[in-house]
Amino acid sequence: MTTTDNSGSTVNKQWELSLYELHRTPQEAITDHTEIAVSPRSLHSELMCPICLDMLKNTMTTKECLHRFCQDCIITALRSGNKECPTCRKKLVSKRSLRPDPNFDTLISKIYPSRDEYEQHQERVMARLNRNHNHASLVSSIEEGIKLQSQNRQKPRHKGPGGEELPGLGAGMNSLAISNTPISTSAQHSTAQVLSSVPAAAVSPSSPPPSEGVSPSGAPTAGPKVKRPRVAPPPAPLTSENESAGGSSVEGGTLGDEGDAVDHLSKYLAMRLTLANRNGELEAELPSSLHNFTIYVAPTPDTYVALSGSYTLEQVNEKFWRVNKPMEMFYSWKKS
Amino acid sequence: MSQNVAPQSTVSKNSTNQGPPFVDSNTVSKRLQGELMRLMMNPNKEVSAFPEGDNLFKWIATIQGPKETVYESLTYKLSLTFPSGYPYSPPTVKFITECFHPNVDLRGNICLDILAGRWSPLMDVHALLISLQSLLAEPNVSSPLNSEAAQLWPNQVAYKKQLLALYDKANREDKPDTK
Repeated sequence: MTTTDNSGSTVNKQWELSLYELHRTPQEAITDHTEIAVSPRSLHSELMCPICLDMLKNTMTTKECLHRFCQDCIITALRSGNKECPTCRKKLVSKRSLRPDPNFDTLISKIYPSRDEYEQHQERVMARLNRNHNHASLVSSIEEGIKLQSQNRQKPRHKGPGGEELPGLGAGMNSLAISNTPISTSAQHSTAQVLSSVPAAAVSPSSPPPSEGVSPSGAPTAGPKVKRPRVAPPPAPLTSENESAGGSSVEGGTLGDEGDAVDHLSKYLAMRLTLANRNGELEAELPSSLHNFTIYVAPTPDTYVALSGSYTLEQVNEKFWRVNKPMEMFYSWKKS
Repeated sequence: MSQNVAPQSTVSKNSTNQGPPFVDSNTVSKRLQGELMRLMMNPNKEVSAFPEGDNLFKWIATIQGPKETVYESLTYKLSLTFPSGYPYSPPTVKFITECFHPNVDLRGNICLDILAGRWSPLMDVHALLISLQSLLAEPNVSSPLNSEAAQLWPNQVAYKKQLLALYDKANREDKPDTK
């Protein structure tokens, strides 16, 4: 089905092989039951178009340097920019310096049989995000994410029609961070717990505000388990379907990572609070507008140092915390 | 392989509309989302970027001055504006923090090949910021936008003095308003 689509043409004509391809020793096909594990991550980078950062669609390969792109992407690139391979800058005179790579398309459709479904979902999310890049739409897309998540819990996830596991579909390939985040129930729960005592903080930040605890349970007294500063509840990582994508990405993706500025944290908090408020998870009513967040760190109990938005968590840790236990942070907002 | 023989007809047929490449805005947002995601998954101490407010097409980025150069320990803010033809056309990148550098003019415009003709759609925000960081370390003094900086560059001691004086001044002026 893939070698000679146009009957009659020789293999050479069909593939327009480069000198290298004509002369290289063919790779032995694996015919026994050898299985080779490939991580979804490395698979992802192989199957991804470097221009649109999505899965390759109608793969085209450059004849000389053998780099792959979606047909649409590389044609647009050649039309609009330099006549060179976007990856290595080798000269590409025209479309004729490319050839379609149906083998690769087949490979992708074997690995991701439910690609269409995935794409439709992506499109819906994108359309929503595109309509208005604003706070409200982010909140509603998270709500959507929660719904999806609870639906998904009913049925086994990532199963292809043939019952094969689809590693990384929706994890590695899914690049939509916030919009697509299904929030786990435990996360919702702990958010609600913490938020229940919020109103005290809303009134005066000098009275001990509720702990924006550091351990995932929200208990501020958690032992020094985690060394790096973490802002746990809401502990939902940016992508939560990541179990299959390798641990490191989950670690790095948690919002409270060192690289994040306090400003980002405020935005995220505001979003989560608005959401929790809408879902009626809060015992107390929140003001309708949740701006003017201030984030505090408490180096000693009863002292709250307001943090400038430009600090990264790591800076906060170095400047104010310096103890080898999870950092505790608090927040309050002004009524506007 | 005689490249000259390639008939121009195919090329010209394709490039009848010489305007900016048409890319549907979903595709652009998708790509920008993807980049943002990657940046957040792999936080970097030296360079960072985040959309400004609600607009995915305008980002604010920060780069740290490269170590062991006169720019060490200085932090620069930049604005990135993505055209509708992104990633086929490069974003417009400007220094927000005033930057004393041979290839940066007083309004923050940057002279760098990859921001113009040498752009490739494979380049992304991260690659761009890394390139800008290394531009700080290795200016191209032969085609300066800021000739004062270019002339001073060989004398690193005097250059650093001038650089720090301007940096401190700019930072003091910048404090009251964020722009």
